[in-house]
Amino acid sequence: MTNTDSLKPAERGFVEFWRAADGHVLNGRDPGLAAARRSAIERFAEVGLPPEKSEAWKYTNIRRLVEAWAGTDPVAEGPDPGPVDGLFLVPGDAWRVVMVNGRFDEARSALAGLPSGVTVASIAEGASSRPEVFARSFGATRPEGADGFVALNTAFAQSGLFVHVPRGTQLGRPIEILFLSGSERRGFVQPRVLFVADEGSSARIVENWRSFGEGAVFTNAVSEFLVARDAAVDHVRIVDEHASSVHVHYLQARQLGSSTFSTVSFVFGGGTVRSDAYLLPDAEHCETHLNGFYFARGSAQVDNHTLVDHARPNCESNELYKGILDGQATGVFNGKVLVRQDAQKTNAYQSNKSVVLSETARMFSKPELEIYADDVKCSHGATTGRLDDDAFFYLRARGIPPAKARLLLLQAFSGDVFETVRDEALRERLLARLEALLYA
Amino acid sequence: MSTTGTDFLQQVADSDYKYGFVTDIDADTAPKGLTEDTVRLISSKRNEPDWMLEWRLKAFRHFQSLQASDAYPGWAHLRYEIPDFQDISYYSAPNRKPKYESIDEVDPKLIDTFNRLGIPLHEQKLLAGVAVDVVMDSVSVATTFKEELARHGVIFCSFGEAIERHPDLVRRYMGSVVPYTDNFYAALNSAVFSDGSFCYIPAGVRCPMELSTYFRINEAGTGQFERTLIIAEEGSYVSYLEGCTAPKRDENQLHAAVVEIYAHKSAEVKYSTVQNWYPGDADGRGGVFNFVTKRGLCAGDDAKISWTQLETGSAVTWKYPSVILKGDRSVGEFYSVAFTKGRQQADTGTKMIHLGRDTRSTIISKGISAGRSQNAYRGLVRVNKGAENARNFSQCDSMLLGDRCGAHTFPYLEINNPTAQVEHEATTSKVGEDQIFYCQQRGISEQDAIKLIVNGFCKEILAKLPMEFAVEAQKLLAIELEGSVG
Repeated sequence: MTNTDSLKPAERGFVEFWRAADGHVLNGRDPGLAAARRSAIERFAEVGLPPEKSEAWKYTNIRRLVEAWAGTDPVAEGPDPGPVDGLFLVPGDAWRVVMVNGRFDEARSALAGLPSGVTVASIAEGASSRPEVFARSFGATRPEGADGFVALNTAFAQSGLFVHVPRGTQLGRPIEILFLSGSERRGFVQPRVLFVADEGSSARIVENWRSFGEGAVFTNAVSEFLVARDAAVDHVRIVDEHASSVHVHYLQARQLGSSTFSTVSFVFGGGTVRSDAYLLPDAEHCETHLNGFYFARGSAQVDNHTLVDHARPNCESNELYKGILDGQATGVFNGKVLVRQDAQKTNAYQSNKSVVLSETARMFSKPELEIYADDVKCSHGATTGRLDDDAFFYLRARGIPPAKARLLLLQAFSGDVFETVRDEALRERLLARLEALLYA
Repeated sequence: MSTTGTDFLQQVADSDYKYGFVTDIDADTAPKGLTEDTVRLISSKRNEPDWMLEWRLKAFRHFQSLQASDAYPGWAHLRYEIPDFQDISYYSAPNRKPKYESIDEVDPKLIDTFNRLGIPLHEQKLLAGVAVDVVMDSVSVATTFKEELARHGVIFCSFGEAIERHPDLVRRYMGSVVPYTDNFYAALNSAVFSDGSFCYIPAGVRCPMELSTYFRINEAGTGQFERTLIIAEEGSYVSYLEGCTAPKRDENQLHAAVVEIYAHKSAEVKYSTVQNWYPGDADGRGGVFNFVTKRGLCAGDDAKISWTQLETGSAVTWKYPSVILKGDRSVGEFYSVAFTKGRQQADTGTKMIHLGRDTRSTIISKGISAGRSQNAYRGLVRVNKGAENARNFSQCDSMLLGDRCGAHTFPYLEINNPTAQVEHEATTSKVGEDQIFYCQQRGISEQDAIKLIVNGFCKEILAKLPMEFAVEAQKLLAIELEGSVG
């Protein structure tokens, strides 16, 4: 293992902490998991945190933020979150999972009636109860050249969540995972999710990220999705955390033949929310939907980074990100569609639209296409602007008060992202949350 | 007539002697390597004043500090070996000895290309490096041009001559748009630039001709570290064309040019480039590295700068002609066609920096990739806080001719003002089979059909070029397309 002397202080802190714990006290004694942790910390020591001004982190100085958490326990357990019932977003029938600071809280979860063969457990438990599934899935979505955060998460992730839907199983109800992050002072948490949908299965997953407690929390989370042949996974992610929080999230999905993966993220609150989505349709005839909505105000920063890596022919992807920026907020969108040489007959679309409401808000957009195959249809677009004065005037002329007119226009602007949420009751909850934010 | 003609051409060819450049017989070429002494040598060989040497040295020290801190610009979507800056000779006295005695000695393939481009015979000779013995109308044309320009007060000369004769203008404007600290290659160019062009249009003057026309006759041996400075005073207008449609062989692998345009209130500058340097052999060996910094400053209100480029040559192109829209209501435009084939790599685009109120910019970029080439558009649109009501429209279309090439788009949009309206669109596709089929049905061969379709794809850009170049540019594209499709 590399000598820690050559590392910068931010990296050294993590590596030394890991060594002190020697890896083995973390997350059980599964030898495969232990080996993965060991190589992950070595990789982290080698790659480190993103350097300042690196292209992928051009507008978010993440190193400075990590340094602000120096000396804190990198897998803090934190205080008890208290009652959680009011925090769930999916109304009615749903299986509920509660994760407190990255740890599976079985007592607070409600999983009665899961179809037989479906596993919902901590990662260590999953590794021992489903060793075959775990061995072929854990870390199998790692994209080339990923920066150090994923390795850091792999090295430290405590407990985590393992969900396995076996072949041909259709989950009739959504699974809502409530991620609670909190601490008394400063906390650093590293939640990890491994989701495996086997051949011909289908599932709906809702990730609901919330804060509790007074302290500022740095979250470094990884969610891995393996979607096998003919499987369909529908994923919704909502981040609504405290303004003092820093949230770094990696969504990594790998799809096999004729599968469908849909993901939509909503960022309603948080200090710095950085989301990286790496989607790899890794066989023919995959369908990929990647959507997002972000609202930021105050001094919040929302940074969305996406890569759709078309490696195989005959796949289709759609990407739409929309955002509203107010106050002194900063929005960043960096989306890339990569079409590799063999990925002929790819159809890929990407779009990013932002509305800037205040004089001081900023938006940085970088929609990229990188294309190495010729028989493809790819396009992308980006727009940034303020609300249309004419449309506003039209509504005002019909007696609609300014605040209401503004709300209507913003709802109309963001509507198509909300439409991608299939669960109507959940969509209503999300629209209500947007209204509360905009009317505030 | 023919005698005077020969004399004149000789004069044109030797013009740098006339302006006082010394050719030391003992040391025509500086030894390879780059040190402070090299910079001093270049400056003294060119009889430059002290202030010029000082400026070069400052740039050189900055370049050294960049090298020491490993600040080589590696962000572009390009793969090449970083040039060894100590393995380059930074000064060689202008060589005016013709390579050939007669046009018959020139490679017939080259002559064929010239003919197909429609380049007149005397220009062919100049371009191929043939000793010129018969000169026709071009002489009188060149002379007339000179007189005409002088009558309007337009200064158009080599950079060296400008340093000697118009030091105040050079000192005031050089580095004001592209400071030597701007980037790695701008620092290198500022330290060792060989020569280049200087152009000054006085207030209210509409330059009576496309400076391109003049340039084509006079352009020879501009060297690998070219520097161009164009100053347009209030209310003036100039159209300037650099480069040539004709293929140009050059043994210098590294070209690092700097172009600065300074547009005062209500001035308009239209700058067009046709670049067709040696792209290297079929495996990508040799070939020119074209690392250029081009930037215009709309310093005054209502100024306008427009860049049009046709890039077909060079092994590696790294070039972002930019406009800083400082004056209120100023306008920036960028129209580009980049065609790559073989193993060529291009990373090119523009930057539009909106500072003033009601500024507008338009970006239209067409990339065509064939063979095993990589063609990337990289562009920045930045709207700063004070830039009320800025407007930008960008469109980047790519066309792929083959399944081994790449087309990439990297647009950056940085918006710091809510009144901005910024739009970006891009598409990537291949030549439509139905389009080819349509043409073939009407008796047009597949190859001609592709030429037609590609020309149609680029038409709106080529139409922006000065007229005679637009015609040649179309032919050039057609020739480039041959052998890269089908």
